[in-house]
Amino acid sequence: MTLHADNRMRRTLSALGAAQAYIGLVLVLAVGIATKGEMFLSETNLTNAIGAFASRGILAVGVTLVILTGGIDLSVGSLLGIASMTAAMMLSEHALEPWQIVPICMAVGAFFGFLNGAGTAWLRIQSFVVTLAMLSVVRGLDRQVSDNVSVGTQITGPDGQLTPQAEAFQLFGTPGHNLFGRIYYPVLAFIVVCVVFHLILTKTRFGRHVYAVGGNPTAARLSGVNVTAVTIAVFTLSGMLAGFAGPIDAAYSASADPQAGQSFELDAIAAAVIGGASLAGGKGTIVGTFVGALILTLLDNVLGLNAVSDNWQLVIKGLIVVVAVVLQRPDLFTFFRGGSRS
Amino acid sequence: MKRTIAIALCALLAAACASKAPTPTASADGGKKKFVVGYSQSNNAEPYRAQLNLQLQHFLERYPDIELLPIADAKQSSATQVSQVQNFITQKVDALIVSPTEPAPLTAAVQQACDAKIPVIILDRTVNTDCYTAFIGGDNVLIGRKAGEEAVKLLPDGGNIVELRGILSNQPQIDRDKGFREAIAANPKIKIIADREAKWVKEQATPIMQQWLAQHPKIDLVYGHNDPMALGAYLAAKAAGKAEQIKFIGIDGLAIPDGGIRAVQLGQLSATFIYPTGAQEAADTVNKILHGQPVDKQQVLGTTQVTKDNAADLYKQFDLSGQN
Repeated sequence: MTLHADNRMRRTLSALGAAQAYIGLVLVLAVGIATKGEMFLSETNLTNAIGAFASRGILAVGVTLVILTGGIDLSVGSLLGIASMTAAMMLSEHALEPWQIVPICMAVGAFFGFLNGAGTAWLRIQSFVVTLAMLSVVRGLDRQVSDNVSVGTQITGPDGQLTPQAEAFQLFGTPGHNLFGRIYYPVLAFIVVCVVFHLILTKTRFGRHVYAVGGNPTAARLSGVNVTAVTIAVFTLSGMLAGFAGPIDAAYSASADPQAGQSFELDAIAAAVIGGASLAGGKGTIVGTFVGALILTLLDNVLGLNAVSDNWQLVIKGLIVVVAVVLQRPDLFTFFRGGSRS
Repeated sequence: MKRTIAIALCALLAAACASKAPTPTASADGGKKKFVVGYSQSNNAEPYRAQLNLQLQHFLERYPDIELLPIADAKQSSATQVSQVQNFITQKVDALIVSPTEPAPLTAAVQQACDAKIPVIILDRTVNTDCYTAFIGGDNVLIGRKAGEEAVKLLPDGGNIVELRGILSNQPQIDRDKGFREAIAANPKIKIIADREAKWVKEQATPIMQQWLAQHPKIDLVYGHNDPMALGAYLAAKAAGKAEQIKFIGIDGLAIPDGGIRAVQLGQLSATFIYPTGAQEAADTVNKILHGQPVDKQQVLGTTQVTKDNAADLYKQFDLSGQN
């Protein structure tokens, strides 16, 4: 009888774990509507909130790929930083067009991501260590190339007006510059990235291999999956996405700060974990990460609108991460039951 | 086994980095004595401090017998900074400049330097001991007060102010807030309706301002504890079409392309206040100390208000790009 009840409880919790992200989202929305109603729901507010988080959301997608293979990527914040610096310098010193800047930034990110992957797959260093080192190396390079001075992206010509390139660059995310006058570019970019990577993970062989490597690397290798290639690929993609987020962040602040992106990796990992990705690998979805990012950004917004102090915001965000992880672990419940019985 | 080797390699690397500091004191160029100066900077990543470093290097070049060791960056960590100061003491530098990250943790280290008879110049932030040779720094309470007086001038009929603060534990933040609040008390119709920590950066200030714009129907003035935060708020207000109705005040007034002086010139900020780096004074003071001349123990630097009228001149005066 107890066993039966336990099993039922376990199944309920497990189902709850799968749906937790959605439940969390509904809860945050409910609190927002209950406390701030129309102000919270207004299109401007929601767009602003999600826009401010979009670059971290894009990082979260890349981090999710890595987490799915059982690794972790701590370097994405620094990669975003150096990509945003690259973008600002390309714009200010070489007057490149935005369509030239983005691929360059993505290549820069992909390059460092590749090094992360190579370190993990070839040198067999734990990804935690490789990417921790990369976090430091890339931040140092970022500060070195910029001489520690922020670089503005609102470049003016001799006439005091923005140069055409700088004007176009603003579309990437300077607040108030929307596509078709309505859609805030970073929000669109975040959604497109989510859709593309959701399709890659669910519809392609590469996607199945990513899950296979995370689920059981040995089994994957025995069934013919090239584990090394998959590992290098996910880190490279994660770096590439961080490179893509760089120009967005530079446009958002109208400058590249040598400190840009610091601690963004933590938000990105939190979004993935809240969305149900398991750090043990093999479990998680892009949809989940998307919802996880929404929860974090809306929570930030709701707490901000209610003038909750930053200190408590940190406490609350941390607790939510813990709750999200616990909900994914129905075994914890039986562990405690077992403990009380003996 | 492999792991042991890896750990050993890491340790070796760390040791190599730590011992890389150049040779101390009397160098051998022509037998002439060269003074060696160590500088521990609290955080190179802040543009203001990067500018300070640049200026200090620039002004010390005037004194060919003084050699500045590579600037040690404490990266905002007091623990790192304490060990840097101790390293400099071990190297027996002829003089030491420290910009403390926090007063309390650095006090003992500065005391150690003093006990080792090394003259110490405290730059920008204080320590809790009198055992140093000179303090050089701006007066953040004064600058906050000036900013507050400007706010009172900009809002003769009273109004609502929002305040973007630096990192809450930083002394400049505390002082810039204190002075400002004292000054705006002159007009009871002026109210600070919201204040939040934006950690000195634009990226954080923009979303906070967006939330404030949603919450408060009437914001008349934004007071940013530094220019990047004030400009982040400006970006948010501009996007919401409200930049014209709101005044923006910042602090720092750096002469860099996206710094505060340019922003005043462009009309984005109503005013900013130069927080002097003290680099020139530090260079002069070091030189005097090393040559046995007397120096003032307390050198508190004033501030200059940047307005549309003087912005171009001030930019020229402080711009060091291309000079190094």
